[in-house]
Amino acid sequence: MSSRRVPAGLLVAGLLMGALPFLKLPAFYESFLYLALFWIVLATSWNILSGYAGYFSFGHGAFFGAGVYTSATLAAKFNWPFLWTLPVAALVAAAIGVGVGAVVFRVRGVRGEVFALLTLAVTFVLATIIGNTPIDGGPGVYLNAVPVPRLGPSPTSSLYLMMLAAAMLTLLVSWAIRHSRFGAGLFAIHDDEDAAEVMGVPTYRWKLAALAVSCALAGLAGGIHALFISYVTTAETFNLTVPLTVVLMSILGGTRHWAGPAIGTVAITCLLFAFTGGEYAVLGKGAIGLILVIGILFMPEGVMGFRAFARTPRGVMGSPPPRPSPSRGRVPADPPPPPGEGRGGGTSEVLLDVRGLSKSFRGLKALSNVSLQVRKGEILGLLGPNGSGKSTFINVVSGHYLPNGGEVWLDGRNIAGLPAHEIARAGIARTYQIPRPFAQMTVLDNVAIAAMYAGRGLPSLEAGRREAMQWLEFTHLAGKAHSLPGELNLHQRKFLELARALASRPKLVLLDEVLCGLTPTEIQFAVEQIRRIRDQGTTIVFVEHVMDAVMALTDRLVVFDQGVMLAEGAPREVMQSPAVMSAYLGMAHA
Amino acid sequence: MSFPSWTLLSQSVLSGVFAGALYGLLGLGLGLSWGLLRTINLAHFAFAFLSAYICYQLAAVSHVDPLLTLAGIVPLMFALGAGLHWLTDRFRLTPFSSLLLTFGCMGIVESLMQTLWTADPRKLESHYAEMKFRLGPLYLPIPEVLTLLLAVAITVAVWAVLRFTDLGKALRASAEDAPVAAAFGINQRRNGFLLAGTCSAIAGIAGVCIALSSSISPSQMYAWVGVVFAAVMLGGLGSALGPLLAGIVIGVSEAVTMAVTSPSWAPLVSFTLLILILLLRPGRIR
Amino acid sequence: MLELQQVTLAYGEARAVWDVSLRVAKGELLCVVGPNGAGKTTLVNAVAGILKPMSGRIVMDGQDISLLAPHKFCEAGIALVPEGRRLFTGMTVAENLDIGSYLSAAKARRRETLDEVLALFPALKAKLPAPAGELSGGQQQMVAIGRALMARPRLLLLDEPSLGLSPLVVVDMFNAIRKISASGITIVLVEQNVSMAMRVSHRACVLELGRIVAEGSPDELLKRPEIRQAYLGV
Repeated sequence: MSSRRVPAGLLVAGLLMGALPFLKLPAFYESFLYLALFWIVLATSWNILSGYAGYFSFGHGAFFGAGVYTSATLAAKFNWPFLWTLPVAALVAAAIGVGVGAVVFRVRGVRGEVFALLTLAVTFVLATIIGNTPIDGGPGVYLNAVPVPRLGPSPTSSLYLMMLAAAMLTLLVSWAIRHSRFGAGLFAIHDDEDAAEVMGVPTYRWKLAALAVSCALAGLAGGIHALFISYVTTAETFNLTVPLTVVLMSILGGTRHWAGPAIGTVAITCLLFAFTGGEYAVLGKGAIGLILVIGILFMPEGVMGFRAFARTPRGVMGSPPPRPSPSRGRVPADPPPPPGEGRGGGTSEVLLDVRGLSKSFRGLKALSNVSLQVRKGEILGLLGPNGSGKSTFINVVSGHYLPNGGEVWLDGRNIAGLPAHEIARAGIARTYQIPRPFAQMTVLDNVAIAAMYAGRGLPSLEAGRREAMQWLEFTHLAGKAHSLPGELNLHQRKFLELARALASRPKLVLLDEVLCGLTPTEIQFAVEQIRRIRDQGTTIVFVEHVMDAVMALTDRLVVFDQGVMLAEGAPREVMQSPAVMSAYLGMAHA
Repeated sequence: MSFPSWTLLSQSVLSGVFAGALYGLLGLGLGLSWGLLRTINLAHFAFAFLSAYICYQLAAVSHVDPLLTLAGIVPLMFALGAGLHWLTDRFRLTPFSSLLLTFGCMGIVESLMQTLWTADPRKLESHYAEMKFRLGPLYLPIPEVLTLLLAVAITVAVWAVLRFTDLGKALRASAEDAPVAAAFGINQRRNGFLLAGTCSAIAGIAGVCIALSSSISPSQMYAWVGVVFAAVMLGGLGSALGPLLAGIVIGVSEAVTMAVTSPSWAPLVSFTLLILILLLRPGRIR
Repeated sequence: MLELQQVTLAYGEARAVWDVSLRVAKGELLCVVGPNGAGKTTLVNAVAGILKPMSGRIVMDGQDISLLAPHKFCEAGIALVPEGRRLFTGMTVAENLDIGSYLSAAKARRRETLDEVLALFPALKAKLPAPAGELSGGQQQMVAIGRALMARPRLLLLDEPSLGLSPLVVVDMFNAIRKISASGITIVLVEQNVSMAMRVSHRACVLELGRIVAEGSPDELLKRPEIRQAYLGV
């Protein structure tokens, strides 16, 4: 793969930079470079959770500070050899991070600004605790007596080399995550966490993992920095400069690119040194603030963001996708059918068995004791007037909502109440009535997420993209594989939803008003595609209002009204039954 | 750690009330902005401290009565607040982006203040500072009493406007369901400017109160952030009376903590409360 | 009074209404029926100013209002009773009604209009100080209609008022609608409940997939197969 260039390039750069201290440069350069590397570690590590997954943290200072104090305490008060304090610093920072995250990520409403404020509060709490206990207690911790490991010709250069190593490690980790299945999952969480969960991404675990990595790296940087400044106080360690600067550097450089924060760091550090000639404190903060303001207003995507959009054909995910197979004339290739499934219009074998399902919202009964069975290989239509519970049914079965009562049996397992990502892995896929693609990921990657996380779940990004390409061809979207969803029209976006639902080769697909808003020609095409999907053996449950399509496609119909199942059976019979007519038209129809 | 005397405890509670009143006054504008305009305005603190410095400058250097400086500060802050609102409105910033943007503004203003007035703490020596009431064994310093009175008066006034006037109802309606409110003729842009300006003007008043009662330095701004956010969230976004009451609760618990243990533990109270509120009721913040 | 001239409406590029032309005479009660997704609410939202037309014109009393700012529509004499009611649940019933008469012309006659609304919906009198969110569905619908009436509109837009209400409450509500129409206010009523809607209207039109498929008097339309076809597909 061509992008093996990147890690190789990084290592070479690292080696070159590692030679610098031996060139006997003035100490000023070593300090300057040290600081640049220091901010690179902090900004890049911050970006792993906050940029990739979208959980902006204002508390990076807390984990950095945890690392600082761990190293300081172990080295100065317990006389540990300094290098051994570093892994412990990283571990302690990660442990605190995971501790906080384990609680905070469980709470559903904690997103966006709430998470940011929470992490800010954690910083101050930690600072107060450290400042009032024997760890610091007030006077600070002195590290002058701690021997600096002899890595380079001088103490400064040794510290420089340590921070260089940390920076290389951080950049490699950032790059690796960006190009992995894990990273794709984080990006999905960033764009639409609920949809990601429904597509099979284990959001809770993934966020914790990203947080742990981010904190560990920050802690590492903190440990090294403790020795660099050699006198550590809570005021200096836990003040707002760290979070503010880190946010700024990442936003400026671009939070979606693995090297974005590093680029932002270099730009800002050079700028500050040029501007204020070393006098960091006074004007520095103002300049940072001003740049942040301009950045938020005019460049929300950052420098790297601009570049990424200018080179749209390569997409936002970096490396080129696998070459698509040449299209065979006008009939798109059918992906191979799932093994063991025959063709047909419905067998009598039950795939999904819903028993007594109920769901209420604040006293309003959206679903009341609904029981129905979906047979393998059939197309089941779900109908009903506005507010009858059809969409709620889909939302509950797919795990978007938790039911208040009842069971849902799939393949001998009751999946009711399981987290949505496990339901996706069990083989249930759904489309959204109003398409919810991951807005900042390419069409190809949108489908790849489903292929990697739902159903059997492919283990790597490459495999996911290969599978995704097949499904894009099936839905006639192959030509748009590297576009962003925003560039598609409604019809194409609906088909993207469809491709996503199918990419995991689910046992059951729930289609929620997939035809609404389409022109008659587009509806025709969609109907054919749906037929082909069923012909490959996938079972389909289909909520729709376009009656022609319903009549043409469905094997059986179920009608809902006010959360209750009203009728069930062959399409024509059901629609002509008096109860159904009355529900729709409000009168007994002659 | 000996338990303090009743007098000391009562004095602590009293100073907690005074401190809380200031938290409430600062929190009022912040909470209204957040709840009714969907803007998280960290620049609020910057405006308050800027006002404090302007008051200091006019009073200490030009010998203007500190309370008179309000005549200039209030309109200035109103204009700044409306201007900031114009930015967030024009660029359609989400609450989160407004948080980042105003975070940046804080940095800019801090630099400005530090350049003009240096980082050394400044204390406004006004004749108000020397005056105190005595209530039995308790001391009530005039600046703090003034702050409390202003806080209560402004809070009640805002509450009354929100509750009883058509403008207040319009603001509440727009915050809840903007398109439907517009369908009944409510001009949200205009109302937004009015509200944003008022919130900043209130911050300006709070700033003058700060200048009167304590010494100021640029970096001190940040110390207020946590405790005021805690007051706003405890009191409820978009509420007028909430932040004041919550602020007093927080102020008193801090003061009592300080009296019983040591002053450096005080920040723990507000930040822990903030964390708990964010965890237990994040839904209030929408 | 109201005229839609070849109006096309879209959300983004999802076209919901295609090239619709419609006329509503002063004092008339026009009902717009059609299945889900037909574009009925979209149409109403455009007339209320919430959605701007992609093409075509909306003319009210000779004035082209298509491109006015949303908050100017109420001034033009149009009041909306939104689908799902959309009351300001954090405010009391009285405050909701006050919002209805926010504009100065209506505000001047607030007392008078309030008396009229309470005469129409006596049950609301006791509920004035209650938070709107605590009322039952039927009561909320009354408040929503009352709120719109407080604006003293010339044109009242009702979007699926029977949604989620029990049959008895629906009957009462349609009686109220009849009375409002009788007082001379022009009404456009969007409904899924065909039978009740037809009973109160002077004229009706059927919308399907964003286009008008039939138009005429309610009696005529009930006899034609278009409605059955549109709703039931048979």
